[in-house]
Amino acid sequence: METQSYTPVPPGVGMEENFLSLDDILLSHERLPCRTESAFPRLGFLEKSADTRDIPEGTKMEMPLWLAKGLYERKRRTLSVDPPKTYRQGWRTVLGADPNVVDLHKMGPYFYGMGSQLLHFDSPENAEIAQTVLQTFIGRFRRTMDASQNALDADTSALVAPLDALERALFRAGQAGLAAYQRWEGGASGRIEASGLVVNYRKRKLGELQA
Amino acid sequence: MDPSEVEFLAEKEMVTIIPNFSLDKIYLIGGDLGPFNPGLPVDVPVWLALNLKQRQKCRIVPPDWMDVGKLEEIKELESKEETFAPIPSPYYMELTKMLLNHASDNIPKADEIRTLVKDIWDTRVAKLRLSADSFISQLEAHAKLDNLTLMEINTTRTFLLDSLNCMYKLRTNLQPGSDKSNDY
Amino acid sequence: MFCEKAIELVRELHRMGDGQLPAFNEDGIRQVLEEMKALYQQNQSDVNEAKSEGRSELIPTIKFRHCCLCRNQRCIAAYLYDRLLRIRALRWEYGSVLPTAIRFHMCAEEVEWFNQYKKSLATYMRSLGGEEGLDITQDVKPPKSLYIEVRCLKDHGEFEIDDGTVILLKKNSQHFLPRWKCEQLIRQGVLEHVIS
Repeated sequence: METQSYTPVPPGVGMEENFLSLDDILLSHERLPCRTESAFPRLGFLEKSADTRDIPEGTKMEMPLWLAKGLYERKRRTLSVDPPKTYRQGWRTVLGADPNVVDLHKMGPYFYGMGSQLLHFDSPENAEIAQTVLQTFIGRFRRTMDASQNALDADTSALVAPLDALERALFRAGQAGLAAYQRWEGGASGRIEASGLVVNYRKRKLGELQA
Repeated sequence: MDPSEVEFLAEKEMVTIIPNFSLDKIYLIGGDLGPFNPGLPVDVPVWLALNLKQRQKCRIVPPDWMDVGKLEEIKELESKEETFAPIPSPYYMELTKMLLNHASDNIPKADEIRTLVKDIWDTRVAKLRLSADSFISQLEAHAKLDNLTLMEINTTRTFLLDSLNCMYKLRTNLQPGSDKSNDY
Repeated sequence: MFCEKAIELVRELHRMGDGQLPAFNEDGIRQVLEEMKALYQQNQSDVNEAKSEGRSELIPTIKFRHCCLCRNQRCIAAYLYDRLLRIRALRWEYGSVLPTAIRFHMCAEEVEWFNQYKKSLATYMRSLGGEEGLDITQDVKPPKSLYIEVRCLKDHGEFEIDDGTVILLKKNSQHFLPRWKCEQLIRQGVLEHVIS
């Protein structure tokens, strides 16, 4: 049985992040290709390739999303952000043709989250990115749903592997619903169970002993 | 909701029993029950019926629809119709399970009934999935859930609501100017 | 890059998605706070320099560090908050007395918070249902019967039931007990609910 008493802060999904969500914090740790549009004095040590004291204007560097979001301003340019290649024309065409053939876990794993976050940065491609992200979700929905309704004892690892973080969360929600129903059908629903925390805690302790 | 909670609600449905004991009318918060006379049919909630049955105090009369002929008609209709066909009881699945598990000796052709109800359930759940998919793929904003039962909705509730929420958020992305930037 | 320590804290919790409570990472927190202190001091001196000498080209750097400060703050807040969610869940899963091993994973403030939570919950439950109060951590699923069949999974010693009878909970022994007396022991993994 899943531990019901602990429910983590859910991710914001879309353009707004949820401040305390661990998922959103990890999403905003993903790196984006950026170009500095002004110098950053005294921060040269952050750039491995350069041994100058400053980060000069025009440096190409990768920055985590949170930093790019924080530094980015429409009025006074200190930074410009390029969409990563998974959101550019080439991949958009691939996703448009058949979203189901793509391994979004490898491409992400926060494909939808990052795609939505990119819209914070001005780009002529934004409208198309938003469209691709939405259509990809819709196009893959059937597969996510069918996977989640798969027999619980079946090996789902191959089905889950190409799912992005958001799809995985949906997959788990679907499986939980199915599991609860099947438990009821099998007559075990009224049974009081040991807490999942207790069971897993004991497993972990056993694992430590054996290690 | 846990399915056991749905079952709990189903236990309030009325069912006819034939008691083999006598007892005056009893007065409960949920309503009056009885009087009970040996051999005379009386309506009681399922929870009481099952309790009496377990103590061999009564025979349970299966509901009208719990009948091979009727269920076959329903199954037929369900597979023909594209929408969800009307179902004889909002708790058909729960009642079938409870009555068959505890009173199968009072229900003729119990095994056939079990299979038929399972078939009906499977057909309806497959339909539910199909309509969820078309709901998402056509970017619908609302859907009619006529004739769906609580147990059916319950198995897919979290999944469907979370999916719709995702779709809504990703759709909101399409509207530029909705940019509420928060610099964390 | 800055904030690497902070993201480690978050990863640590994220890896344990099932709600387990890992040991409080005091060292990790300390390192993040040290980084924040350093960032703050550098920023303060740069702000002074920018103001007094009119060096506005320092502003992007100041902003850069400020973002890092906010990021560290966010990570720590999320770390602490998520731990509180887990600790709150413990009250419902284990009852009011926690196994020592788990208590060792909490810092002093967390133990304090847990005790306060316990108190609030107890006060609330006493206020319900008249004189006796109502234990809302019981019967989380609709009970089917007042008594249930249970099997002991480990030796637990003597156990008193309502009527004063004392029974011995010995490993593998089977008993027929009032449901409300055993629910917590089942959740703690001492007893197992047997369904015939």
